[in-house]
Amino acid sequence: MSVVIGGVLLAAGVLLFVLEPVFSGKSAPMYDGDDVFDEGAARRRVALTALRDLEYDRATGKLDEDDYGELRTELSREALEHLGDEGGGDGGRGGDGGRGPDRAATELEEEIAELRRAIREGMQCGKCEHLNRLGARYCARCGEGVGGGGE
Amino acid sequence: MTVLGEIALWIALPVALWGAAVSFAGGRTGRGELVLSGERTVHVVTLLLALVSAGIIAAFLGNRYEYYYVVNYSNRELDTYFKIAGLWAGQRGSLVFWTLLLSVFSSIAAFVNRRRNREFMPYVSGTLLGILSFLLIVLLFADVNPFERLGFTRFNGLGLNPQLQNYWMTIHPPTLYLGFTAFAVPFAFAVAALLTGRLDSRWIAVTRRWILLSWFFLTIGIIFGMRWAYEELGWGGYWFWDPVENASLLPWLTATAFLHSIQIQENRGMLKVWNMVLVVLTFLLTIFATFLTRSGLIESVHSFAENLTIAYIFLGFMGGMAIFAAILIIHRLPSLRSENQMQSFLSRESAFLFNNLLFIGVTFAVMWGTLFPLITEGFFGETRNVGPPYFNRVNIPLGLMLLALMGIGPVIAWRRASKRNLRKNFTLPLAAGVAILAVLLATGIRHGMALATFSLAAFVMTIVVTEFWKGTKARARIAGEGIVSAFRGLVKRNRRRWGGYIVHAGVVVVFTGLAGAAFDRRVEQEMVPGEAMTVRSALGGEYRLVYESLSHTRPRAAGDVQENDWRWTALLTAYRDGERIGVLRPEKRFYPVMEQTSTEVGISSSALEDLYVIPKDLETGTDRATFEVKVLPLVPWIWYGGMIVAIGALVGLWPPRGVPVSSAARERAVRRPVPAEAAG
Repeated sequence: MSVVIGGVLLAAGVLLFVLEPVFSGKSAPMYDGDDVFDEGAARRRVALTALRDLEYDRATGKLDEDDYGELRTELSREALEHLGDEGGGDGGRGGDGGRGPDRAATELEEEIAELRRAIREGMQCGKCEHLNRLGARYCARCGEGVGGGGE
Repeated sequence: MTVLGEIALWIALPVALWGAAVSFAGGRTGRGELVLSGERTVHVVTLLLALVSAGIIAAFLGNRYEYYYVVNYSNRELDTYFKIAGLWAGQRGSLVFWTLLLSVFSSIAAFVNRRRNREFMPYVSGTLLGILSFLLIVLLFADVNPFERLGFTRFNGLGLNPQLQNYWMTIHPPTLYLGFTAFAVPFAFAVAALLTGRLDSRWIAVTRRWILLSWFFLTIGIIFGMRWAYEELGWGGYWFWDPVENASLLPWLTATAFLHSIQIQENRGMLKVWNMVLVVLTFLLTIFATFLTRSGLIESVHSFAENLTIAYIFLGFMGGMAIFAAILIIHRLPSLRSENQMQSFLSRESAFLFNNLLFIGVTFAVMWGTLFPLITEGFFGETRNVGPPYFNRVNIPLGLMLLALMGIGPVIAWRRASKRNLRKNFTLPLAAGVAILAVLLATGIRHGMALATFSLAAFVMTIVVTEFWKGTKARARIAGEGIVSAFRGLVKRNRRRWGGYIVHAGVVVVFTGLAGAAFDRRVEQEMVPGEAMTVRSALGGEYRLVYESLSHTRPRAAGDVQENDWRWTALLTAYRDGERIGVLRPEKRFYPVMEQTSTEVGISSSALEDLYVIPKDLETGTDRATFEVKVLPLVPWIWYGGMIVAIGALVGLWPPRGVPVSSAARERAVRRPVPAEAAG
């Protein structure tokens, strides 16, 4: 008997919970509101991530200047294209910090700028591609003079 | 409790059907109240299936031998944890368990997305509830109801198959099922993307973590299964190309291909149709794995089939889903066009594409070999099996090509790689591969596949290690950090990439372990206590085994309850090069309830190899025994590699910096979520 009562109560509870929105008119959100997915922003982040990896590849000697230059031009163009998709704006900006709440893209841009600055300021040896400490005057590996090389 | 579980099963079906209908209707008409009702249904079905599962476990624990399922998979003497594991020991219970896990993942997906991806959610809920409804229909109407009664009550059950009475029984099936069922969520999002026409990278961004989660569980599930099969003699070794083993491998292969190809879609806007096909194919293969294990269509040592009816039902369902997905993909073809073209044969895209083709090649080869008995029966009227030689001959070369691509992919440039780029990045790894080859040849090794595997392993490992080393060093210099924090920072910045490299390193270790089979040594000897035998290792050194004694548990009765099993245990002391390394206790067990025997091997592991002792004949009275002793080089590396793969997958899965885990915290921290890749 108790099992029957338990079963009836279970069925009633389930029905009540499932059908309540239909009768009360209570609605699930149908749109994302603030959580809207921005395809342009997503693609820009992908392009920025690729740019960041490109800088690392250059810094670690995986890419030489010619390959780096070509790929960087393409990736920068894509990042800027998708910046346009987000609603236009300051498309020429390279690493000044991003827009609004897109914190990850901002951080990526900052990191890319930092990487470029490090390479520009001559941390990487032009001869053996060894990455030296910031402020070094001679390459720790081959003794070549460093500082002021770069892009 | 059991009766309540039965009632819950009957309530679950109409509720799930209602939920599927109102979810699709709500999505189509834009009526939020229907969508909410559908999402509530997902949670309700989960609760009901939890009650169903609890009911089955209660029947096992309560020795309710009026239930057909309990009678067939339990007995009074069975240990409690095997009674709990009885939920997934047989066809009926494991279908319930599969359905429960699917509903749990469905609930998590509905909860996590209660305020985001709303455009997709009605169709996601509808699809998941549709799959759940199908499984509930099977459970209730395909003669596999776990609550079916016998009409009388037996005093005792028939017992659990001795091969399942192993602690891995409590770990391996649930892990594998988690992998199978988690993949339904990406499939549901793909269907939602196709139905809504929102075919940009959103569905991939949303489901990336689900795919990785499913892949993680599938991977560790397969590794656990290999370990179980290695320890339990009856399964045929860590990999026997058994149909059920193959069935678990198939979705893993396509899921792995998918994990790589989505990167091409994200980075280059290519392979959109291919990715849709892969997600559908992987989902269908998870269903295939489920049905193959439970249908009895193909004979397998792992199979726990009872009737063939559900084989045809599952085949029908798979066919229906395949047609439905194909129609949707064809309908959306114009929106699935590639945004870019492949620029060069020498590029990362190209390497990924080859990787995909190879994975599909292996999938096809494994599928063909698995279904071969059915094909021959259909065409020639007699069943023929292809067996391990076919699988090894076809898949080892393909696997080695995949191993090579695992090294090439990460360092070759996107879009197009120049010859300079190739020279720069491949000189050292190639030199490492050639050096290993030369050393191995010099030591007299002539096994072609083993030589190829070890050389390629050196090639790939050099690339992975170099990538980590160079990346860490660069970051240490640029950020002014120490090596350890630079390494941590590097991985944290792009968990997906570096997690992937860790996975690659793990796979290299697994391959190396598998190649060790080329150097197995085996000796068989009959002994009496006090005698010893020796066996040499291919890696050098000699093992000596001294047979000390044979003991056995006496069959005894305690009231009406007897021992679950009777054991004959041999005691052997193992020495390596004169040094004692441990005691091995291989066993023969007899299960009186099932009247079956099982063999438990004795294993002594070191970092490089296993000493593996199989008791063949144990004679009580004379205590004479015959042992087969194997020295298996590099087998432990399979398990080490598996652990490394799991760690890599966890690194990739870990929530990225800047994305608070809880929704409330997320809302406090930022107004918009930061996709996983962003913080990478």
